[in-house]
Amino acid sequence: MTALSRERIGTLLARQGILIAFAIFIIAFTLANPKFLTVDNVFSVIRSSAILGVMALGVTFVVISGNLDLSVGSMMSFSTIVVLDLHDKIGPLLAIPAMFAMTLALGALIGLLVGYLKLNSLIVTLGMLSAIHGLTLTYSGGKNMDIADKEGTWFSVFGQGTALGVPVPILMFLALAALLGIVLAKTPFGRKVYAVGGNGTAATFAGIRRARTVFTCYLISAGCVATAGLIQASRSLGSQNTVGQGLELEVLAAVILGGASLMGGSGTVFKTVIGVLILGFIQNGLLLMGLQFYVQFVVTWIIIILAVWLDIAAKRGRLWSPIA
Amino acid sequence: MTLRTTLALSAAAAALTLGGAAAAETMKIGITQNNVGVDSYQTTYEKAFIAAAEANADVETVVLDAGGDVARQIAQMEDLIQQEVDAIIIWPTNGEAVIPAVRKAHTAGIPVIVTNSNIAEPGFDFVASFSGPDNITQGARSAEIMCDKFKDMGIENEAQIVQISGQPGYTTAIERAKGFEDRLPEVCPNVTLMETQPGDWNREKSQQVMEAFLVKYDDIDGVYSGDDNMGVGALNAAKAAGREGIIFVGATNFAVGYEAMAAGEYWGSIYQSPVDDAEAALKTAIDVLNGVDVPFLNYFDTPKITQDNMGDYTKPVF
Repeated sequence: MTALSRERIGTLLARQGILIAFAIFIIAFTLANPKFLTVDNVFSVIRSSAILGVMALGVTFVVISGNLDLSVGSMMSFSTIVVLDLHDKIGPLLAIPAMFAMTLALGALIGLLVGYLKLNSLIVTLGMLSAIHGLTLTYSGGKNMDIADKEGTWFSVFGQGTALGVPVPILMFLALAALLGIVLAKTPFGRKVYAVGGNGTAATFAGIRRARTVFTCYLISAGCVATAGLIQASRSLGSQNTVGQGLELEVLAAVILGGASLMGGSGTVFKTVIGVLILGFIQNGLLLMGLQFYVQFVVTWIIIILAVWLDIAAKRGRLWSPIA
Repeated sequence: MTLRTTLALSAAAAALTLGGAAAAETMKIGITQNNVGVDSYQTTYEKAFIAAAEANADVETVVLDAGGDVARQIAQMEDLIQQEVDAIIIWPTNGEAVIPAVRKAHTAGIPVIVTNSNIAEPGFDFVASFSGPDNITQGARSAEIMCDKFKDMGIENEAQIVQISGQPGYTTAIERAKGFEDRLPEVCPNVTLMETQPGDWNREKSQQVMEAFLVKYDDIDGVYSGDDNMGVGALNAAKAAGREGIIFVGATNFAVGYEAMAAGEYWGSIYQSPVDDAEAALKTAIDVLNGVDVPFLNYFDTPKITQDNMGDYTKPVF
């Protein structure tokens, strides 16, 4: 009986190491400041994390398929600026689909280069990081983009609205996570993504069209980025050209922290969500503790390393590697 | 942007090689900017600089942009030295890291004018003049604006405030914070500055920081932000949380800040025009080349702007 339950605890630890790490941080931060776990604060953290989170959902697909996407930060700036600009020109009802179409076109271009032309995704998306930034600046002329009538537009609902007492960005994040979670775990397409990332050659021999799968992953990523841009634009109703700058690395950190492998073939949407929440709660927790901000950079890194270590330790059942 | 800069650079280099000997009388002034396009201030600055240079027949310019990258800025400095321009204007991407490049220009006999944000003190010996806003005075003036408002409201003895500063390590951010923190206890000794956190010149980041402050502190009477962009982010957070009566004071009055002031939600700021900034930099460079005596710290004035006097100022274009 005891042996059995110990074994079960072991399996649970191995599967959900990152979840346990998450729980430990939450408890530690709550002890440091009781206000940490208030409904208002939790909502505000998840709402702030929603933008990063929505982007991470799409990148999860790309990473599992064995590729990288470093262009998501620039692309998010692009969609934010475009939707804000078009809002005043053609109205929100047309601006939103127009922005989605443009962002998806960028995703399709990357998918074409990486999927069909088989170019290295690191080079392609690193180049797109600058190229899309340039595109955004060319589009806006470098100006901040602001909606003229901030009070009178329904466009603010995506970033600032609430439904049933829950902020809309949180609902969008969770709904998209549920949808993409099902796509990845329960559909033939999802299994193809794992197969292509796990062993591309074997996938080809199994009759999977690799190029098409990779292409679709980048489309999903671009769709997520467009959604994130929509939330961002709606939340502040105005934006700088650099609003998404640097987010690509945070997104990647969240995805990898959640346990997806950079080599492809493993990871889940649920774990990415946990990765995103860990990053969001660390940032907020450190702010609430009032640590001096130069120190925060270092502490953030230490916590991430601790989380990764806990995850690995849980998987192998001991803290140190048996093979040194 | 990178492509455009490269094109501009090669075109400028070609033009200089061809026309170098013929136009010996004109002054060749090179400028390497921090990050045009990162915000409207820098975009407007560049346009104003080019316009001012074109209006002056004696001046020929090479306009470069480092895109926020220190390494690229150092390379651009070296390019300008190679091209043997008469003077170099630099908007430092980093107050420390550019010093060796500035020194190199100085050694080559090319006067260097620093614009907008000064380099760190060890580099002062190699600089002909600094042209720009006095950020310490700006911070001090923001403290005065906030203190005066608290006195009007009669809460100068119990008010509690928070500060959202600019990007850590950026001279402007450090100087404004210092000016504010030094001046506040002089004018309002009983106002408490509870905490300072950086908003990285970013509206979204600032909004997140303010959300955390609102959770942490039940009573916040005032918020000082290193610029209006961050100030408006903080204002958005307070509005979303339904917290009213907070006095917001910023610096570098942006269009959004101006509008929020007009709407009665944002109290005051510091009016700093990128056009004045750019024209002052060019004039300083020309004066240095003409042998005019220029003070080492050549500040242009940046006045206080509040809801009370905003009618005297036009809405900023950025």
